[in-house]
Amino acid sequence: METIKAKLDETPFQTAGPFLHIGCMPNAVKINKIYQNDLGEIPFKDKQENELITIEGSVFDGNGVALDDVMIETWQCDEKGKFNADSGFARLIPNNITKKFTLKTIKPGSYKGFDRKTHSPHLSLSISARGLNMTLNTRVYFEDDELKNDPLLSIISLDNVNSLIAKKIRKNSYLFDIFLQGDRETIFLDI
Amino acid sequence: MNAKSLIKRNYKKHPEIDFPDYKSSIFRAPKNRKISFPSSNTEIIGPIFNKNIIGKLDNDLTLNFSRNKISPLGHKIIVYGTVSDQFTNPIEGALIEIWQANAAGKYLHNNDENPAPIDPNFAGCGRCLTSSTGYYEFLTIQPGPYPYPNRGIEWRPMHIHFSIFGKSFGQRLITQMYFEGDPLIKLCPMLNSIGNEKAKNSLIGVLDTSRSNTQNLLAYKFDIVLRGIKQTYFENRKEGL
Repeated sequence: METIKAKLDETPFQTAGPFLHIGCMPNAVKINKIYQNDLGEIPFKDKQENELITIEGSVFDGNGVALDDVMIETWQCDEKGKFNADSGFARLIPNNITKKFTLKTIKPGSYKGFDRKTHSPHLSLSISARGLNMTLNTRVYFEDDELKNDPLLSIISLDNVNSLIAKKIRKNSYLFDIFLQGDRETIFLDI
Repeated sequence: MNAKSLIKRNYKKHPEIDFPDYKSSIFRAPKNRKISFPSSNTEIIGPIFNKNIIGKLDNDLTLNFSRNKISPLGHKIIVYGTVSDQFTNPIEGALIEIWQANAAGKYLHNNDENPAPIDPNFAGCGRCLTSSTGYYEFLTIQPGPYPYPNRGIEWRPMHIHFSIFGKSFGQRLITQMYFEGDPLIKLCPMLNSIGNEKAKNSLIGVLDTSRSNTQNLLAYKFDIVLRGIKQTYFENRKEGL
């Protein structure tokens, strides 16, 4: 039962605009002398290549155009299902030629949540860009995992639930495209 | 068992996603309703950023890109405030990243087509972590307004972009601060995508005359509120008790 009432309204969102890289990933736009590294360059340090999986994909607008001015942030637990304060976060922008983003990370484990239910392995994604008045949120699950009993997937009865599930394309490699609009519009979450 | 959940977002006090006056939203804003679900560990626990990522000049945009300590063009301002949650608790260690145009209204970015000069001593990029009282401040220069293609050429009011992390991925916020008294504010479709007047006004930094009059700069106050996280208690009792 809720006993305390919120006293203040959350500050409203505004679009991140087309130049968000300056503030969030300056080294990616050749502003090299301010921060040594961009935040979220590597989600987990000191991992060997053979411990990593790859998640790649594009973000498509309503015209089917793959965007290159979008920023994707990912947040996940480690392979044991534990959230760590200082690792598990990554920032990505699509390559300006291939228009694909590529995340190299460890595969998250499943975890028992504070709802006591088992949550299938997943990453949380936030998507910010010009034209998005609010940051969008979605999740990436993996098609080769047990997904039937996941607390979120099991409440979604929509046909496009597959939009949350990354396809295995090679050993340790997954494809996860994001569709902002259209017949294949990705399911976005009110987190 | 102790559990936590985020206070539900009140979308009436946020921008409309699909807002054709802001032309870029037309082919980018999703059309379907978002799916709500109870907060899980993923939304509640982290990320939290460490002090050791912050450099000494990261919150001084007048010096962090200057060559030989030459000041960027424009007048200096301080932008300051506190980050708290919806219960008024200050948030310590919140990461604030900002970006902005220079005094001429030009961004240091290849995609900026505004025919205004870049300033070789200004990148428009800064960050800091809030103190134990939730306090932050940036020393920077007044960003200029600038023209951009929307419904024809329109002008953006002067603004600074803010990206904020609190303690939870579900508290993540990206917004913009505007400047009190700017006549372009009322014409801005991005700001007008927020229907609620009070919410809209909360994005306008307020000129702090007392602080401005004691220093060689103008001071603007901009307080930020992130979502509250409440404790919820799952029943631990056995059936029948």
